[in-house]
This record gives sequence, C-alpha cells and structure tokens, in this order.
Amino acid sequence: MPWRRPRKKVDRPVNVSRAIEETLEELSADEDEDDSVELAGVDGASIVEAATGEADTGGRMPSPLAEQLSRVELSDTAVITPVRSAERTEHGVDLAVDAARSLRLKNPVLTASGTFGQGVEYAELIDVSRLGAIVNKGTTVLARPGNAQYRIAETPSGILNSIGLENPGAAGVAKKYAKAWAQLGVPVIVNVAGYSVDDYVRVVSEFAGIASVVAYELNISCPNVKGGMLFGCDPGLAADVTRAVKQETDLPVIVKLTPNAPDVVAVARAVEEAGADGLTAINTVLGMRIDTTKRRPVLGTGSGGLSGPAIRPIAVHITYQVAQAVSIPIIGAGGVTNAEDALEFLMAGASAVQVGTATFADPLAPLKVIEGLAAYVKIHGLSSIRDVIGVALPTSQQAE
Amino acid sequence: MILEMGRVLARSEIGDLGIVLNIAAPNIAAQARPGQFVHVRPGVRFDPLLRRPYSFNRIDRQAGEIELIVKPFGQGGDWIASRRSGDDLDLLGPLGSAFVIRRATQNLLLVAGGTGIAPMRVLAEHESARRNVTLVMGGRSIQYLWPSRLLPPTVEYVTTTDDGSFGIKGRVTDALRPLLAWADQLCACGPWPMLAALGRMRDEAARASAVFPGRQVLLDAEIAVEQHMGCAMGVCRACVVVTENGNARVCREGPVFGLGEMRFSEGEPATVGLSA
Repeated sequence: MPWRRPRKKVDRPVNVSRAIEETLEELSADEDEDDSVELAGVDGASIVEAATGEADTGGRMPSPLAEQLSRVELSDTAVITPVRSAERTEHGVDLAVDAARSLRLKNPVLTASGTFGQGVEYAELIDVSRLGAIVNKGTTVLARPGNAQYRIAETPSGILNSIGLENPGAAGVAKKYAKAWAQLGVPVIVNVAGYSVDDYVRVVSEFAGIASVVAYELNISCPNVKGGMLFGCDPGLAADVTRAVKQETDLPVIVKLTPNAPDVVAVARAVEEAGADGLTAINTVLGMRIDTTKRRPVLGTGSGGLSGPAIRPIAVHITYQVAQAVSIPIIGAGGVTNAEDALEFLMAGASAVQVGTATFADPLAPLKVIEGLAAYVKIHGLSSIRDVIGVALPTSQQAE
Repeated sequence: MILEMGRVLARSEIGDLGIVLNIAAPNIAAQARPGQFVHVRPGVRFDPLLRRPYSFNRIDRQAGEIELIVKPFGQGGDWIASRRSGDDLDLLGPLGSAFVIRRATQNLLLVAGGTGIAPMRVLAEHESARRNVTLVMGGRSIQYLWPSRLLPPTVEYVTTTDDGSFGIKGRVTDALRPLLAWADQLCACGPWPMLAALGRMRDEAARASAVFPGRQVLLDAEIAVEQHMGCAMGVCRACVVVTENGNARVCREGPVFGLGEMRFSEGEPATVGLSA
C-alpha cells in the first residue's frame, strides 16, 4: 500500500495549545487507542509509536506529572499555524511573576541571552509575544568580531560554545532593533557585557528611552572573552559594576551569576547589597573537548561555556543555595527544556526561568514551557504559578 | 522557513558517500531552492542536542519530497542515517541562501566534491532541461562518487578520484581548466580545500588579462560552504566564516556565497567531522 500521512498529523498541524488540551482530555486511553490501531494499520508503526509519534522503546514515564508533561512535549509537529489567544493553554491562567524587583512579567518564561539573537530571528517561526520577556545577545560598547573557529561543539546533553560576544556594538543594536522590538510586542531585557565599569554604564546609556527595554541583565560572567569573568568572580568588583549601572538607569538591574566563581553565594549577596533587583542563575560552566585526531582542543579558544541539560543540576543547586541567601528574585537558567525542568527551578526558589540551548533543538521549547506550566497550574488547581516558587526550599527559609 | 515533521519514504546507501533519505515534506519542498539546507533534529530528546544541517540533494515540489545525503558521523548523524521508511524526522527549513542561475546562461558548469554533490545534483536536475550542464565530480575513490544513473541523462559528467579508481586521477580542479572556456556560469560545493583551490584559480584569473579562458566565469562563480552549526536561525553566530564584508553566517548569509567573497587566506574554518 502506498504510504499515506497519518490522519492525526495532517488534521492537527502544530496548534500546540489545542494539542495540550486534547492531551489532558484524552488521558483516558480509549479514544487514543482506536486512533492508534487505525494508524498502525496505515504505516506499520506499533500502537505506542503511532500514539506518541515516537519510537516504541517500551519505557514508561514514572510519575503521572512526568507523563502529562512529556506528552505536552511530544505535541510538536508540522507547520505552525496561528492560534487565537483564547485557545492557548495559558489563557486565563495566572502565570504572572516578578522576575526581578519592579519587573512583573505575564509569565515566567524568558529566552536566554545568546540563544535568541535580538528576538526578530525566531519571530519568523514562533509567536515571540507569548514569551514573558526576551534577553538579547550580549552587547558591548564597541562592535566585536568574536572568536576563532570552532565556536561550538556538542557534548553529552549539551553544547560547548565560545562565540566571544560577537555583536555590532551597543549603539548599532539600539539603532537597528528599537523599532523591531516594539513590533515584536515582547519586553526586552538587554544583556550588557564589558571590560570595565565604565563599559557597562556606557552600554546601558545607549538603550535609554527605548520603550521595549524593561531591564538590564549584567553579563559579568562571560567565560569566552579575556577578563569576561573577572567581575563575576569577585564580589567586590561585581558590586562596583552593579552600583554604577544602578546609578545610570531607573530600570531593574539583573546580575547574571557565573558558576565558575569560587563563591557564587558571596557574589549574589554582594550585588544584592549593591542594589541589584534580581539575579540570573546561571551562566555557562567552563568546559573543554579535545579532538583526539588532531590532538588539540576542538574549540578555537580551547575552553568554552557548557550549556544545556548537562548543567541543569548545577544550575538548580546554585539557585537553591542563592535563594536562601538573598531576598531579590532569581531567574533560573541552565538546561530548561520543558515545564518539568522549569518547575525544578521555580521550586528551588527561582521566580522565572530562561530557556536557552533547548531552543536550538526545538524552537518551540520556550512556548511549550509556558503551556506546560499553565497545564500544571490547572491540573493542580493552583491559584497561580507563584504558589510553587520556593516550595522545595527548607521550611524555615521558605519563600512566601 | 517552517518546522515540518517529515516522513522517511525510502533509504538507500550510496557507496561510502552516505545514506540517502527520501523524505515526504511537502511544505518544505514547496519553498526549497538549490543550495539551501534543512536542519534535522537527531531524535526527540535533547541528547544529542544539536540539529544537523543537510543540503537538499533533490527537491521535488510536485511530489512534495526532498532528499538528503546523510553521513553516519557522530551520535546525531548516526541516528538520522539510521532512519527507515516510515520514520518521522523533525525538519527546520528551508534555510539559507540559494544558487541563482542567470537566465542568459547556456552552458552551466557544476563542480562537486564528496557530499558537495547534493546541491549540484539539484541544479543538474532543475537546469538540464533548459541549458547544457556539465558536472565535474570528485571523491576519494569510486566509492565516494554519486552514481551517474542517478543524474539526468542530458547531463555530461567528468569524474576524478584521488586514488584513480575511476575517471581522472586527481582533484576536480585538475579536470576543470579545459571546461572553463566553455562555461557561462560556475557553481561549486565541496570540502574547504577544494573551494580554496577554486579560490586560487579565481585569484589567478583576476590577475590575468581579459583573454584568460573562463576568466569571467571564475570571477562570478558561486560556492556553497559547510560549517559547524548551532541554531541555523542566525542567532548563535557559531557558523560564521570570514568574508570580504566581515563575518558572515553560513546559516543566513550563506551557505551560498560568491567565490570572490570568501577570504580563503583566513584558513580553513571546518575540518573535524563533529557535526558532519
């Protein structure tokens, strides 16, 4: 018999939110099974394969939540079609959070710096306005050409990168994207990088008055440029940068912490004291791969920054530690691929999360996290996603 | 550019060149142009994480099908290369720039090295009904050559192998010179050393007088390049190559560039088969 596209996939091209509602409705397997038998007849797939669209490995997800959320993840398919806002899973669900002091976002899902460009690139593929906010590519005062090749290498459940902050400079970015950001309809957090306190201040001043810019994230922790981690490793210097930028702008200032600092908690405390309105935990973890044929490191710079699910436990742990040491909001970052990953960060004390490397594999990942969190709030009858923030912290320290 | 769940229709091995997957992907096929590529997810989870870029090896709009040559390199390439008829493949594409064949071109010269045959075969199929097409293809040995039976019958071809197991012993650039005077336009795709050799031929032509055979063809030649890639959406800047206009992203400004745009003097940007 000639191959025919399974009905299920054709009739329901992406329409992700609808698919999730269906997933939740269809947890009773009967209807699914009918469908599956038919599909199995069509293309010879096993029933499980036909039902999930995934190879039948025989493995089961352990918890009902994991099951529900994993099915949310599996709803990805085909062509993206516009979905009316009222049909979206997150519609009518209170996902609003304070990602930093004075920075209330409609949901806790941001995109991580360096993995989402200036927002306009992925706007060709997904509805960027559904995101809580985007964080732009690290911006320096002057244009930077970036590092020598190779700049990227794959590692188990992650990637190493050494891009080297390639960017056209703050004035160029501000001029080129101010209008585009307004059209995207999403709050923009500008990621600021530099080599001196003055550098940070000058970048921030370039973005003054751009309405879409709602906050700054200070990249005091880039592992891929000379001196990039200096500020992030020294509590005193980190505080100096924070203080200077706070004097320059009235917008919230978020400091992105590096896991490569000898004492991350000390840096977090120092920048909170210096006036930081929030923290991002964490930037990439230093790593290296060796090309055994050439007998030298794969990356042009030797070492690079590790990101992706490989670093998630490190990031959750640092979030958990920092959450007990500071009272400003934390944005968790590191290997978030789905809602369950995001919940780990929220429960560890983060108020929001950034989705980064996962977007490279699945451009729908950030939206799936939003939908999955909305589904979680509904399934558990919570009044808002804020109910889970910090619930895994030791009771004496528990956040409100 | 769209996300589309393709369905593998057929899988075949072409010598040591790679695995050819024939994939039903009507929406991507409808938009795809020669030289562009598709970013394929190697699995449904995040390990391996990065999608793999593959240039179209065939674009059949009417049938809604595409074809890719996949090398079973690395965990991700292995996974994709082991897909069978009936399997789904998560595709992102079509991406990047395309070859543009000028209307006035009567004699089209295509140059392919190894898996660089992919976009050249698309051009051969699309253009052979309209103009004279000659394909120069090279490989390490006969096992690395695209089978002539899978080329349009009207396409003339010249083959070279490094070991002399088939056709001319040597490189494609050795077989190229006599054809330059014949050609009106040249398109090439292959490994960096091959493209760099073409670049040197172009430099030679640029310095020579206007009577140098095929001078203009070399000056206007277009090439498709490969590079380690991350997002393929233009955001991560992992895949940049150095051009006359500064850094250019292979996934956006490329993969098709003017031969003269590329700064070959900057050295080879890609050699390890990590993402190949």
